[in-house]
This record gives sequence, structure tokens and C-alpha cells, in this order.
Amino acid sequence: MDLNLDELKRAMEKEGYVSEDDLAVTVYLALTLKKPLLVEGAPGVGKTEIAKVLGRVFDTEVIRLQCYEGLDENKALYEWNYQRQLLKIQILKDSCPHEDIEKDLFDEEYLLERPLLKAIRSDRRVVLLIDEVDKVDEPFEAFLFELLSDFQVSIPELGTLEARQIPIVVLTSNGDRELSDGLKRRCVYLYIDYPDIDKEVRILQMKVPEAGERLNRQIAAAVNYIRSNLDLRKQPSIAESLDWARALVALHADVLTVENLTRTVNLLLKNRDDRLQVLDGGVLDEIMRHALGEKAGEKGHTHCHCHGNLPASSN
Amino acid sequence: MEPGETACVVTEAESAGLNTIEYNITRFVQILRRLGVRVSLAETVDAVSALAGIDLLDKSRVRAALKACLAKSRREAGIFDQAYGLFFTTPEEKARRRQQYREARAERDRLINTAERELMEVVEEWQRDLPEKIVLTEQQLETFSLMPESGKERMKEILDRMKSNPVNNPGELINRVLQSSLNYWRYYMMKNAAGGGKAGTLPEEGSTGDEEMDEVIRSVDAHFYHHPGDRILHRDMESLDDSDIPRMTSLISHMSSQLALGISRRYKRSAGTAAVDIRRTVRRNIRYGGVPIELRYRARRRKRPRFLLICDVSASMARHARFVLQFIYGLNSALGGLESFIFSEDLERTTEFFSKNRNFARSMTDMINGSRQWGKSTNLHESLKTFLRHYGDKLTPDTVVFIVSDARTVAPEAAAGLLRDIKLKCADIIWLNTLPRREWEQKAPVKLFCGLADMYECSTLSQLEKALRRHVFKYA
Repeated sequence: MDLNLDELKRAMEKEGYVSEDDLAVTVYLALTLKKPLLVEGAPGVGKTEIAKVLGRVFDTEVIRLQCYEGLDENKALYEWNYQRQLLKIQILKDSCPHEDIEKDLFDEEYLLERPLLKAIRSDRRVVLLIDEVDKVDEPFEAFLFELLSDFQVSIPELGTLEARQIPIVVLTSNGDRELSDGLKRRCVYLYIDYPDIDKEVRILQMKVPEAGERLNRQIAAAVNYIRSNLDLRKQPSIAESLDWARALVALHADVLTVENLTRTVNLLLKNRDDRLQVLDGGVLDEIMRHALGEKAGEKGHTHCHCHGNLPASSN
Repeated sequence: MEPGETACVVTEAESAGLNTIEYNITRFVQILRRLGVRVSLAETVDAVSALAGIDLLDKSRVRAALKACLAKSRREAGIFDQAYGLFFTTPEEKARRRQQYREARAERDRLINTAERELMEVVEEWQRDLPEKIVLTEQQLETFSLMPESGKERMKEILDRMKSNPVNNPGELINRVLQSSLNYWRYYMMKNAAGGGKAGTLPEEGSTGDEEMDEVIRSVDAHFYHHPGDRILHRDMESLDDSDIPRMTSLISHMSSQLALGISRRYKRSAGTAAVDIRRTVRRNIRYGGVPIELRYRARRRKRPRFLLICDVSASMARHARFVLQFIYGLNSALGGLESFIFSEDLERTTEFFSKNRNFARSMTDMINGSRQWGKSTNLHESLKTFLRHYGDKLTPDTVVFIVSDARTVAPEAAAGLLRDIKLKCADIIWLNTLPRREWEQKAPVKLFCGLADMYECSTLSQLEKALRRHVFKYA
């Protein structure tokens, strides 16, 4: 399925991914230039989600390779089916010379596909998600070069296997380690930053419409203030904003108050020191002031004594 | 420029092949490269191909397409955005900026000529006896022109007073004094450039010979590090204001814990026993009917090395030392058992201050209060002598020694001799030098120590993190 840029943008939005021009253009280029897409950004800004959304847009399978330190080609590319090989040896040991057995043993029928091989041997164009590529060792990163530039892999016993259909490759990185120039050169690059208030409102509206626009705007403003002004060990991600919104909805809140913020802050901030910083009286007031859109010096009604159950007239 | 004139210029350029997309992208790539963005030929080709699928009249999409192909990190994306806005602009804006630059350049030339005249008047008397005339670089003359009036007068006064100095070769002496005080002033003024000014970490490239490209490079260079986070990461640690310290402290804490996390994962893995390599084992045992008689193992990882830190806390290093020690303190949570020493006139062991359960701020206060070395002058020779005498047994063939110092020490030759002895007893010596690399050439001790240790520039937090990451992981 070929989509032009505007169609792609609309299709992504339809699948629940709010994308600006920068993001849509980069994804579109990765698709048209048939190059891997390298997405960097803080945890929880929606890097992995791009691959999942592309899977839905193109109605195809998403094959995921979760990276970690120590990942090697046996777990990423292929493994020989040792049990079957041993059985075959046992069956043939008295009837065949061992050179012939060896020739038979390393045949495709004994090959166990791991995500990378599965992606390039698939008959359909799949989405290959190589998640958190910054976690792998440098030699493994270099091993990926052949796949990412030529869409082929080499298996010593079988030779070079070329992709039947060039997959849509999405690599994500949290920036724990700087990736090599070789890897970056082979990819189209996208950096996703935390969204501004308007974009976050759109995301919240799309994912948690039951919260209502007013509450979603207050949540986005509060989170934006926390990210921009507080020195936290871990900034709240978009995923955490969504969880927070859902928690507030579960508490039947339709407006943000000091009380419901205090009760639900552990969904937004997962570090004790960060929570204590936010719950400090002065900071809490500032957050509420920004969330409710008050100007400096104005004192608003930030305290709710109805445990989040505001009358409908407050809308 | 009138619209009609602009149209003429554009038509003329197009007919000469100077206004094609390829031509402009190539020039833009050259600008990015000058600014330290590594763009390969393949990426340039990608950028041109990318534009084929984009509406060229949609500026923001063109920008996004080029950015996706040419900028491959957050830092590079920042440089790209700055340079793009300056390069792809209207001819009128470009002409206005060029005119502004020409005027600034003329003013600079005037100031330099005046500075040269003023200085030559003072040294004229010696010039007659000198076989070679005093030649000052444009940079040195610019420094003099930018000095405060009181500083200029004081310098002239000192030079004047030296007339009565009965030395053998007054001309050479005056030349040396003049050059070194101008270099000092330049360093001092750069350090005090308010608000980050020029951070000194973007490459200081020469002119491209193209006025328009040079103008873009200069503008990005001056503006890029205005983001507070970037400014702190890439600015000389010594020149940070006190107001930057809380932000710096939190950045270090974050960076060191990230690094520590990676290291602890790696150590955990290496501590395991050797694993059987099934593929090689099956192959090897086909001759035995598949019965695994001869096992084959995966290669074992290298044994974990020991790290030893020797940190200079003399007056010139005091501020750097605070940040470096905090970084090491953070790393110690993963490395454990790190041996650490501080030195200036002599050496003291500080290992116990870095124990895991101690609070860093309290450790630092205790260390500074209990130390007789903090803020003194540097004697690396004496310090290494003490180290070898009392702690020589800490050196083993798997020890990696990190020395953090600006290499400004008395008796550098003697210190180099002891460093040679240390090198024979350990795996490697890594020297993290807080002096900017561009100054290394002029410092004899730096050149001397360079031959004995792997030396890396480490004047900014970003460089410190990179150097530690590279070496701690290399040996892990």
C-alpha cells in the first residue's frame, strides 16, 4: 500500500498517533527511501508506538527484537535446532559417514528463525522493531550494519540470505549510549521531544476522551510545568500523563485540585524524591496555578473538598 | 535590494548552475561539517533524494526532510536548526548580514591596527637590537585591543620598567613577557565571557573562503550553546557560575548513575561461569554420534579491572576537582572498591570518603576540612613519590590509573620519571586533562606527559562523561 505524506499523517492519526509535520515527514522518508528509521528520545515519548502504529496502518505484523546488553546473533538472527540435529545424528550414525551427516545437518530445515531472520524471510512487508538499540554491545551494533544497509544477512553454513520483502525497520534508542556513526548513517533520524501543551492535550483527548477537554488541558499544563521547571530524577512521560488522566477519571474528577493531585501523583512520578519535590507546598501551588491557567498573583479555587466529585455545573 | 534586482541575481545564478537544489544542499552540508556535524556523502545523496518526494514550496516539510537525513543526534539537530534558518533565507537578509559583518570586520581591523601601533611604540627601543622583530598574532593584537584600559596601561608600564633591567638579552625577555601576558589575558577574557559566549567546544575552523557560508558558521557558533542544559554540559567547568552548581550537581548525579547502571550490568554478566557453545559442541561431537563428549565453550569475558584515581586539587583545579570527584563518587556505586587519592603539594588517600553509604556533600566537606592539599600549588613529583612509597602495592597488572590534572606542576621531568615507573606496574594510565586541547601545544609538561599516558581533554562535563564511558567500558 503506497500512501502519500498527507495520507500517511492522517492514517497515523486515525490509529491514535498524533504526529506533527516533522515526524510525519521523517516516517514518510523512511518508507519511500526504504531506509531504517532511527528514533531517539526520552523514555515514554512514543518511540516504540511508531512501529506499532505503522503495523496497524499497513495492516502487517510487527516483529520485535527487544535489545539488551549481551544480546547476540543466536538470539537475534537464528539458532540451529540442536535437538533435531542430535536426533538426526543418532539415526544416521551407523549408516552415513560423518562428513555427509554434517552437510545435511546445517540445512534450512534445522534453522530456528529469530526476529531478524523472520523479518527478512517474511513474504509480506512486515515492520521490524529493534527496540532500545542503545542497550546492545558495539560488536552487535556493527553486526546489524549488513541487515540495515543491504537487507540481507550472512549465515556461515548457508551463505547470504536476501530479504524477500524489504521490511519497515524502526530502531529506538533512549540515548543511554551514543550510537556509532555507521549505524546512524544508514538510518533516517528522528528525535522526539516531550510534547508542548497543545500536542499533549490532543494526545490526551485522543486516548482518554472521557476526561474531558478541560481536565485534559489542566493535566497537560501541570505536566508541562513539572517537566520545564522542576529538576527531577525522571521526567513524567506521555504514558504517565495518560495513566494520570485515567486515574483522575477513575476518581470521578473533572477538574484538577490539590487534593486529587496529591492522591494520584504516584502515577505520574515514580521516584520518591521527585514526589516529595512536587508535593512541597510552594511547588504544588505553582503547579496548580499553571494548570488552572491563572496569572501570577491571582489566587484561584484550587482546593476541592468533595473528593473529586464536582457537580456537573462546574463544567 | 529591490525585487527586480533580486530576480536578476537569481536568474544569473541559475544560469551559472549556482542556484540548483544540489548546489545549495552541498554548500549547506559543507557548513554543517564545519560546525562539527558529520555528514557523509551517502547522507548528502539521501538528502537530495528525500526532496524528490516532498513539496518544495512547503518550507517546514523541506526543513524536516533535510533534517531527517543530515542531523543524527539531538545536538546535531540543534546545530541544523540554527544553520538552516540562517542559510535558507532571503537574498535581502543575506545581503544585510554580509554588510553587517563587513562593518564589524572593518572595525576589528581598525582596533587591531591601533593595538599594534600602541604596543610597537613601547617595544620600539628593543626592536632595533633584536635580530628578529617581535611578531604578534592577530589574535594577540585583538586581545590587547579588547583589554580594559587599566590593564593596557599596566602592561605598558611593566614593559617600560623593564628597560632598566640589566639582563643579557632584554629583547627576547620582553618578547616572552609580552606574548605570555597576552595569552593569559585571552584565556582570562574567554573564561569570563558572560552567559557562555563562546563555549569553545564547537570546532574553531578557518574560513571557507565563501563570505556567505562563513557568516552562517560564525552565527551558529556564537548562538548554539544558549540552551541552559547544553551550556552547562559543554562549557569549561571552571568557568561555571555558582548559580550553575545545583544544575551541574543534578546533571552529574544523573549521568554517573546512568553510566554506573551500564557498568554494573556488564560486571554481573562477566561474573558468571563460562557457557557451553552448543553449535560448536554439536559440530565437534558428530564423530561421536552426537554424544557431547568434547564440550566447546564461549570465550570468557575479561576479568574486571581495578580502577585507581589520582585527582589534582590544587588552586587551578579546585572547581574541576569538585565535579570530577562527584562523578567518581556516583560511579563508585557500581565499581565498588575504587581507590582514590587527591594531591597538590603532596598526596593523600581519600578512598574511605567514597564508601557507598556516605552522603556526597558530607564526604566533600569532611574531605576539604581534613585535607592539607586543597587549593595549594602543584607538585606532582612529590605526590607520586609519596604514592609509590606508601601505596605502591595498590598497583597490579590489572589496575587502570586515572589521573585528573591540568599538568601544571613544578619539576615535570622528575614527575615524568615516576610516572614511567607507575606505567610499568599497571595496565594503563589515562590522563584526563582539564586544560582545553588547543592549549596543549604551548605547554611543555603536557607534551611530556602525553608520551607516557593516554591523554584526553576533559574541561567540560560532556567530555568527562565521554572519556570515563570510553575507558571504563573498554576495560570492563
